[in-house]
Amino acid sequence: MVGTRGVGTVAAIAALLVAAGGCAEKSGTTGTGNNTGPIRIGAVLDITGAGASLGVPERMTLEMLTSQVNEAGGVNGRKIELITEDNRSTEDGAAKAMNVMLSRNVDIVIGASRTGPSLAMRPLAESNNVPMISLAANAKIVEGAKWTFKTAQNDSAVLQNIVDHAKSKGWKKVGLLRDSSGFGEGVAETLNELGKPSGISVVATEKFAPDATEFTAQLINLRNARADMNLIWGIPPAAALAQKAYQQLGITTPVMQSHGIGNQVFLETAGTAGDGLVAPLGRLVVADQLPDSDPQKQVLTKFLVDYDRTYRARPSTFAGHAYDAFQLAVEAFKAAGTDRQKVRDHLERVKGFVGVTGVFTMTPDNHSGLGKDALVMVTVNAGSWQILPGR
Amino acid sequence: MADLLQLLLAGASVGAVYALTALGFVAVYTVSQVVNLAQGEFAALAGLVAISAVGGGLPLPAVVVLAVGTVVIVAAVMQRLTIAPVKRMTTLLSIILTLGVSTTLKAAMLLIWGAEGRGLTPFGGHDLTVAGVSVQAQQLWILGVTAVVAVAVGWFYERTLAGKALRACAEQPTAARLVGISIARASLLSFVIAGLLGAVAGVLASPIYFSAWDSGLALGLKGFVAATLGGLTSVRGAIAGGLVLGVLESLVAGYVDSGLRDAVAFVVLIAVLVIRPGGVLRQRAAAGI
Repeated sequence: MVGTRGVGTVAAIAALLVAAGGCAEKSGTTGTGNNTGPIRIGAVLDITGAGASLGVPERMTLEMLTSQVNEAGGVNGRKIELITEDNRSTEDGAAKAMNVMLSRNVDIVIGASRTGPSLAMRPLAESNNVPMISLAANAKIVEGAKWTFKTAQNDSAVLQNIVDHAKSKGWKKVGLLRDSSGFGEGVAETLNELGKPSGISVVATEKFAPDATEFTAQLINLRNARADMNLIWGIPPAAALAQKAYQQLGITTPVMQSHGIGNQVFLETAGTAGDGLVAPLGRLVVADQLPDSDPQKQVLTKFLVDYDRTYRARPSTFAGHAYDAFQLAVEAFKAAGTDRQKVRDHLERVKGFVGVTGVFTMTPDNHSGLGKDALVMVTVNAGSWQILPGR
Repeated sequence: MADLLQLLLAGASVGAVYALTALGFVAVYTVSQVVNLAQGEFAALAGLVAISAVGGGLPLPAVVVLAVGTVVIVAAVMQRLTIAPVKRMTTLLSIILTLGVSTTLKAAMLLIWGAEGRGLTPFGGHDLTVAGVSVQAQQLWILGVTAVVAVAVGWFYERTLAGKALRACAEQPTAARLVGISIARASLLSFVIAGLLGAVAGVLASPIYFSAWDSGLALGLKGFVAATLGGLTSVRGAIAGGLVLGVLESLVAGYVDSGLRDAVAFVVLIAVLVIRPGGVLRQRAAAGI
């Protein structure tokens, strides 16, 4: 809590007065590879602004896991110190927060919640040789990266699922309504590329700002494109408001959404307008419907129970991204201490790590570690998630 | 044709919210030359209070009264604490003061309601489709209530003694004081009116456009641009300015590029300031309300 209060207020004042510095926190004398004292995990999250519905549960998850680990005696006897910074859902905020983390000498950075801020942090992680685990989707975050990893499913894995679904339904023309920020970048291109063998292509692209609330103009243009299906690509609440507007305008074309909608905020905001949509989502939202044989079932159930006990709420898939990033980091610290190089090397060798988002297997060329099987096709029925029958 | 009408409806609905916000700017500016940058926060605060009240199980009328009442009190307290003590108010000083209030309100809202934006439950009624245009019940509420409020505000300024006193303060502060009108009370009243208008805008808009701790900034900017279109001192100019801005945004988003939606307001602002600093829709130079 302390993190948000301070940063939120300071951030608001700083932004308004166009003061550059922001949150100048100086401390940290421990050098890299120091194997005593607490382990410092830095979290740069989208706690306020357009990504708040992602960043808030992510922070809650990290706080919960930190106290769990510390209560159990820490990692190899060392406590974990969690340092959280809000990037205000902006790229410059993320870069600033990343600099704060560097000045505090953290052992690893978790974040950001969304693609744009993550991309702004990546060069700083790479040039300062600090391991970073992003919680965002776009594959660009880890393309050719040495120090950067990520836990959210790649957008290409999501789009492959969408293409497969479209193929099974015989849909060829896709209308796209996408987030205009980093999360939506490259969606049309990737979709065209993956859809090519089956003759699936994007016939119209419309964009909306991540904090948009008015979608009439875009949806009218989409309606006039007369596609076989429309894909809404964004995060709640915007994605949910778009879904609502879609239904209010009486558009009957089948609609799909991305994995960006896996939280309760989406269901609450979209209400009945969400019924019937299809989206590839992480297994967390449908954990209770999975067979016991599912390799992730146990991890998912534990996370759901723990989160409910701590916060009396259901975690979102975004909370799951944070869960996995934290567990991957702790695994690496357990095995390799806090030498940054060794931590990085360990992360790159992760194999068959069962997380909430999927089963991770990293390689030097793949710092995402998840394939298209990390997602299940989910539909909304009477305001709740359901595994799409017949697959 | 249906597309055009749909865009016009969406634009008018957003524009009505801008118009109410613009009216709030005008109410305060005419009386004391204060540009109240916390006007957008009034709307955000009203929306958030209303959402909490609905969550607490209150019926809609009570919710509206509570939200509007809270914001009116906040506006009055703000005037007493930050505007009234200043002996020589200038517009620049008022901008700095109200910016401080706006930041404080935002921080308070962030602490109380958290970072996530939420929407109020719609007021009720059925959505309908007319001539291929889908109309949300809430849009009708927004347009209807804005029309009633606009008429009421016009009637207040032109027909009531208090309204006439406010106009007198705006036009001739010294003469107004000579005939026994208290400038201090007039300034307080103008803030109460601004709070009322901001709160109505916030509660009306929340079901469609959402309320969050930081949603007041964009709304305040748009409302300010709308008020500037009318020269910052005209009730009719503010209403027309709001509607024009909303419709223009919608048409640009529909026919040019949706990415340009938020740029419209600023392009309009620059154009107005360069070409007609007195306001596009203003006919006379006097501070006629």
